[in-house]
Amino acid sequence: MIITEMLASAIRMGIPILLASLGAIYSERSGVVNIGLEGMMMTGAFWGALGAYFYGPFMGVILALIAGLLMALIHSIATVTFRVDHIVSGVALNILAYGSCRFLSIAIFKMATTSPHVERFRPVDIPVLKDITLLKPLVSGISPLIILAFLLVPLTCFILENTVFGLRLRSVGENPWAADSLGIKVLYMKYCGVLLSGLLAGLAGAYLAIEHTGMYVEGMTQGKGYIALAAMIVGNWSPIGALAAALIFGLAESLSFRVVEGGAIPYQFIKMIPYILTIVVLSGFVSKSTPPASVGIPYDRDSG
Amino acid sequence: MKKNLKYKILEGISPIAAMFLAAALSSIIILAIKKNPVEVYFTMFTFSFRRMDSIAVILFNATPLIFSGLAVALSFRVGLFNIGVEGQYLIGAFMAALAGFAVKGLPWFIHFPMVVLAAACGGGLWALLPIVLKIKRGVHEVITTIMMNYISFSLIHFFIADIFMDKQQKMLMGLGSPIIRMPKIQPSALIPGMHSFLSIFGINLPKHVYLNWFFPLAILLAFGIFYLLWFTPFGYELRVVGHNRTAAKASGINPQKVYIKGFLLSGAIAGLIGLSDLLGYFGYMDLDFPKGYGFTGIAVALIGKNNPLGVIPAALLFGFLNRGAEGIQTFIGVPMDTVVILQGLMILSIVIISEVMVRYIRNLEKKEARLS
Repeated sequence: MIITEMLASAIRMGIPILLASLGAIYSERSGVVNIGLEGMMMTGAFWGALGAYFYGPFMGVILALIAGLLMALIHSIATVTFRVDHIVSGVALNILAYGSCRFLSIAIFKMATTSPHVERFRPVDIPVLKDITLLKPLVSGISPLIILAFLLVPLTCFILENTVFGLRLRSVGENPWAADSLGIKVLYMKYCGVLLSGLLAGLAGAYLAIEHTGMYVEGMTQGKGYIALAAMIVGNWSPIGALAAALIFGLAESLSFRVVEGGAIPYQFIKMIPYILTIVVLSGFVSKSTPPASVGIPYDRDSG
Repeated sequence: MKKNLKYKILEGISPIAAMFLAAALSSIIILAIKKNPVEVYFTMFTFSFRRMDSIAVILFNATPLIFSGLAVALSFRVGLFNIGVEGQYLIGAFMAALAGFAVKGLPWFIHFPMVVLAAACGGGLWALLPIVLKIKRGVHEVITTIMMNYISFSLIHFFIADIFMDKQQKMLMGLGSPIIRMPKIQPSALIPGMHSFLSIFGINLPKHVYLNWFFPLAILLAFGIFYLLWFTPFGYELRVVGHNRTAAKASGINPQKVYIKGFLLSGAIAGLIGLSDLLGYFGYMDLDFPKGYGFTGIAVALIGKNNPLGVIPAALLFGFLNRGAEGIQTFIGVPMDTVVILQGLMILSIVIISEVMVRYIRNLEKKEARLS
């Protein structure tokens, strides 16, 4: 029972990391580094809370998706069309997200750092499985967004491995010049990759604001966008790997809450755990993983 | 020679063009809250430059940003991204605050340099792990430095609130809640304002302006880094590694050593960012110690084209923006955070316009080569 409860809590904590991480996979497989995930998630959280506050959770998700998409559009225009350094663009995007969320929060909610409480989705049970006592904490009363996130894992696998779109996306990330010579529209595919990552990061933000805390809080992403990048690297740029890594990070976070209740260690140190874990995990695993060959290199048709 | 000058001018105007583009884009946001952008920008200018003390505030605002811009620019020069400037300066400020209150009875000419050194060591220390992991394990420094930022926030919080909190303050609990802060720094470690110096020239600054000697120190450091980069062998190695790592290796430079030295130097400079505020304004470190200088430093470095001397006007620009933000909030009720949006847009427009400019110049060169 305790194990399934821990797992359930790890899943709740890990979902935003998983969603953003899936987004990062689309972006990186097309060859674009997306450090701006953090900002996209933050914007998604703000617009998610805004939509949910005025029109209910469904509209919250829609607005979060649009917000993530628009942020991703800026990133793709900068990195793909103008070939700006991916990291510089991402960092600028994060600053922009911070400033615009704060600005809009003051303008709309009259408070700089939080929104009012918002309505959540109605929790759902998974039929059949919910009758098994052992699995009850995992499958009953859960957010529909969690189910959506889990469905997105095999879907992403399928899209990347078994569709023409996925093949083209990956080839653009591996060798854009070769892909170009085969008639694949390189810039278009890169746009698709980045925009999909924006959608998923927006969704991650919506989950945080609507389902996790029930409101928007400034800085609520707490580096989850960067941790998602780490999860993607640890998961070797594959959706299944990202799922496993996101669950590990989720578990670390939920464990940290339990240790805080114990009170033996100052809570500031507990708060560090996910970040230390990210560093430890990256320094242990990164040598084994293989990023797409041309990731981070701006594509210029005339060079290379 | 003449052609070169033309390209130089084209490159030089790109930051100005970027500023205008960013201002134009920000206007959309200002219009969205039904304010007049022209009035907003006009107020920013008049409020900032109307009086001498306002200009002194701009210089005070720019001081930490010069350090921050230099730290980021130096890491960019060696081909690394130091996104951890934020954490490094907080650790540096904490170490300085610690050395500032715990060591007693020293004359200022020993105590003050000691505190500055403690800050630089703190910043360098916080840069050490990311660069070691980069070299030994191939971990990208961007993610590690960002993680180190979050770790530093928690660590500083722990040290200020749990270990070094000023106990004498706690006794005053009855008289309203105490600030959670460290004890006050010894006067021998504080930096004096520039008031008496400037009054020789007939400029009398009011007491609420905290412009201090860290401003000229920051300018001196910028010139020092400029000299280091362009007139010393180490600076040459640093630029070669930043420009082309493989070529550097082929010519007998050990890139790893240069990486370590360059990154630690960047961290040490980052450690100094908070000192103007700490030793010239607050006199102690608390939980509300200003944050965000590290991220603004990235913008400052980019607008300054990663040139130590370019960092100075870029930092002054941001000092002006922050001062102007106070003006527009007070006088026309536009949130100060408009300026943060402006900063984000500025980074994007500067990098985009630079790219476009580089391509344009390349085309011009090609055309001229064909003609001759």
